[in-house]
Amino acid sequence: MKTVTRMSGQSGLEGELSDSLAVEPKRKKAGFWKVFKQQKYLYMMSIPFVLLVIIFNYLPLWGWSMAFQSYKPGIPFWEQEWVGFQHFIQLFSDERFYLVLRNTLAMSLMSLAIGFVFPILFAVLLNEVRLSIFKRTVQTITYLPHFVSWVVVAGIVTKMLSIDGGIINELLIGLGIVDKPVQFMAKGEYFWSIVVVSDLWKEMGWNAIIFLAAIAGIDPQLYEAAKVDGAGRWRRIWHVTLPGIRPTILVLLILSIGHLTSIGFEKQFLLGNSLVVDYSEVLDLYALNYGIGLGRFSYGTAIGIFNSVVSIILLFLANGIFKRFGNQSVM
Amino acid sequence: MKKRIGKVTFLMVLSLMLVLAGCSSKTSNEEGGKKNKEGLTELTLFSADPHPQWDDMNSPVGKVVKEKTGVTVNPEFDVNGGTQKIALMVASGEYPDLIWPKGGAGTLVEAGALIDLTDLIEEHAPNLKKIYGEYMSRLKWSKDDESIYILPTSPVDTQYLTPSHGVGLQNDVVKALGYPKIETLKDFENAIKEYKEKNPTINGQPTLGLSLLADDWRIMISTTNPAFWSTGASDDGEYYVDPETHEAIMHYKRPEEKEYFRWLNHMNDIGLLDPESFVQKYDQYLAKLSSGRVLGIIDDEWQFAEAQRSMKEQGMHERMYGLYPATLEKGMKHANFQDAGYLAGWGIGITKDAEDPVAAIKFLDYLASEEGQILQNWGIEGEHYDLVDGKRVIPEEEMKVRNTDANYVKKTGIGVLKGFAPSYGDGVKDATGQTYTIASEDQIKEAYTDVEKEVLKNYGVEMWKDLYPTKDEFPVKPWGVAFNIQVPNDSELALIEQKAMDIVKKRIPDAILADPGEFDKIYDTFLKELDKAGVEKAEKERTKLIQERVKLWEK
Repeated sequence: MKTVTRMSGQSGLEGELSDSLAVEPKRKKAGFWKVFKQQKYLYMMSIPFVLLVIIFNYLPLWGWSMAFQSYKPGIPFWEQEWVGFQHFIQLFSDERFYLVLRNTLAMSLMSLAIGFVFPILFAVLLNEVRLSIFKRTVQTITYLPHFVSWVVVAGIVTKMLSIDGGIINELLIGLGIVDKPVQFMAKGEYFWSIVVVSDLWKEMGWNAIIFLAAIAGIDPQLYEAAKVDGAGRWRRIWHVTLPGIRPTILVLLILSIGHLTSIGFEKQFLLGNSLVVDYSEVLDLYALNYGIGLGRFSYGTAIGIFNSVVSIILLFLANGIFKRFGNQSVM
Repeated sequence: MKKRIGKVTFLMVLSLMLVLAGCSSKTSNEEGGKKNKEGLTELTLFSADPHPQWDDMNSPVGKVVKEKTGVTVNPEFDVNGGTQKIALMVASGEYPDLIWPKGGAGTLVEAGALIDLTDLIEEHAPNLKKIYGEYMSRLKWSKDDESIYILPTSPVDTQYLTPSHGVGLQNDVVKALGYPKIETLKDFENAIKEYKEKNPTINGQPTLGLSLLADDWRIMISTTNPAFWSTGASDDGEYYVDPETHEAIMHYKRPEEKEYFRWLNHMNDIGLLDPESFVQKYDQYLAKLSSGRVLGIIDDEWQFAEAQRSMKEQGMHERMYGLYPATLEKGMKHANFQDAGYLAGWGIGITKDAEDPVAAIKFLDYLASEEGQILQNWGIEGEHYDLVDGKRVIPEEEMKVRNTDANYVKKTGIGVLKGFAPSYGDGVKDATGQTYTIASEDQIKEAYTDVEKEVLKNYGVEMWKDLYPTKDEFPVKPWGVAFNIQVPNDSELALIEQKAMDIVKKRIPDAILADPGEFDKIYDTFLKELDKAGVEKAEKERTKLIQERVKLWEK
């Protein structure tokens, strides 16, 4: 939330920041120690947090060494057998891995596209609602599904799409669109859409909160000025609201691009079945079944490393592109 | 100089600490294990399964056990099947005294966590020796390592009184059709077909012919295992083991089984197979069965037991299922009751961290003794059962409480510790000629509903098991069952089997739902995919393991 408020409406301050950054390299060496001395209390205050990050985020990276060993639990580190890149070679030569990667990327790209457009649209529209009670009620109702467990959601979705009295099929038949119930859950080609749509239903309201907050941070004077200039509702949305939340949108977009390969496996696992497995298995599930599930800690770690490396590359790519063309970045 | 003093002090402090540590560990060794404030030896126990009825050793029976053995148990029960916890234990190298690891024993043995019990049994455990009797050689770990690490806790010599595999038909179906013989799958099919035509709806909902379940691993129970059951083979997991040569092949490769799946394909083609069979989850399946509109199932008794119980409670007795040994062709014998000998597989072990292994083995030995067994099955004399003319009799009042009180086990402690030590199976008799367990044929017959009794009467038998070929019609399997041979789960064998399982989960439903003209093509592709995944190698590996086990057990 902090970044959001900073990003929105304080572009003046940001300009100053980048100015000072641009100047700094010239007198880097002398400057650093000087600044350090001046700000030693600030540095000291940050030590606990830096330590926290080092302990919980950097030290565990030590475990990556497992990927290059044939790791067996219970044996001291120096007695483990080193195997080099064997696990990576095995991973990249497994056909299933590519299938799984395809599913992961397809589903995450789809939900990135849809799961981004709808919450923004929803937030903007909700913001235009005048009646405050109605607005709040709708907002509360739409974000509640976020707290419902996927187990329950999967149950509801399966029941709704069932051919045995499922409401969607009843509706389609009632409207005369199809003459025989459609087996939604048994068709692989529908699976991605089912996951994305149910994810949208569950998370739309929740994801809209952050955009609503960003909209709330827009200076009302801008709206008033636009009104005076004769801008109608659409114009105001287009010229004030959307540009106002643009930094928020870009930051969130860049961050979620970094998470493209790690989409979890809950929904796929719970909604999937043996008929659609070629479309439902994702990277995390593969890592579970073929890594930890079989006690192949090293193989699982190799998958994890692959995942992290791809994430970092994607993050920097997205960041670079947006920096270049949109003057907006997270780093 | 100052520096040196610092160093010396440091060293002195260090050595003092070492001495102290040495002393403290020595004293505890001399005492032989931790004693708690009651003066009892406390054994820590890890169990891979939850135990909702744990009594804290404070129930009447628990107290007797404490008094007789001088041991109390401090347990930890896992809810996730133990795999993760055991991996953690191995990684940290810290173990409880006793461990009941389920399938995780291989991991523990490989890490050297379990101690060899052979000598301990020889010296301190006459009752364990007695209970395992001739099966003692089945306790050995492997050909290369004949140590005993695990004491199997499954009941010894149990007589199975109810069938658990077969095709299930609603009692009303056979009743309405005048009790036709259900010997082949064709009979089963015809019964469903005829009844469904007459009753297109049940309780206002459309009737479903045959519903299968394929939710994750359950696909094996309801969809793929029945392929060998109804073609006369018995359960060796994903394999079929040749009784002569002991060679293992993936059971899908048997030509008979292809015909079984072809029959399922045919059932789908003529609209008798529930189209949701491969989509539904376990709870949906149970709900569907309990609604009473599924005429036939092919499943294991324990898997649909909950639906069966719910229908019994709702009074839908005519919708409950009876199990029939239907086979693909006449002449094949349903091997539900084939004897695999004693199933030495899962059990309890003592770890290297146990401070007093002798107390631990003596504790297990007591539980396996006649006294311990009667305590765990019948309870305390005069409190839970009476001795009438030297016979154990449970008073009617007590029996009623026992059958209805959901917390009976926790309150009395009867059977709380039964799962952690070997026990005598149903039907085995003690020195006085009475059974160790309270289960008996009469007890089962009494529990039948009137509808069940009528059905059985019309088939001319007394119990469901009488419909099945008996144990004596089959040879005893000298390798036990192929699926409980422990393999390290990071071996290549385990990997290939996992891959094969994934192919099965995908292709078998495909083949069943395909157009009948396509079936052969899909099934052949399926077999080719299995071979591509390296199944032949796995078969060879399994064959080796089975042959080694046969040799090991013969000794």
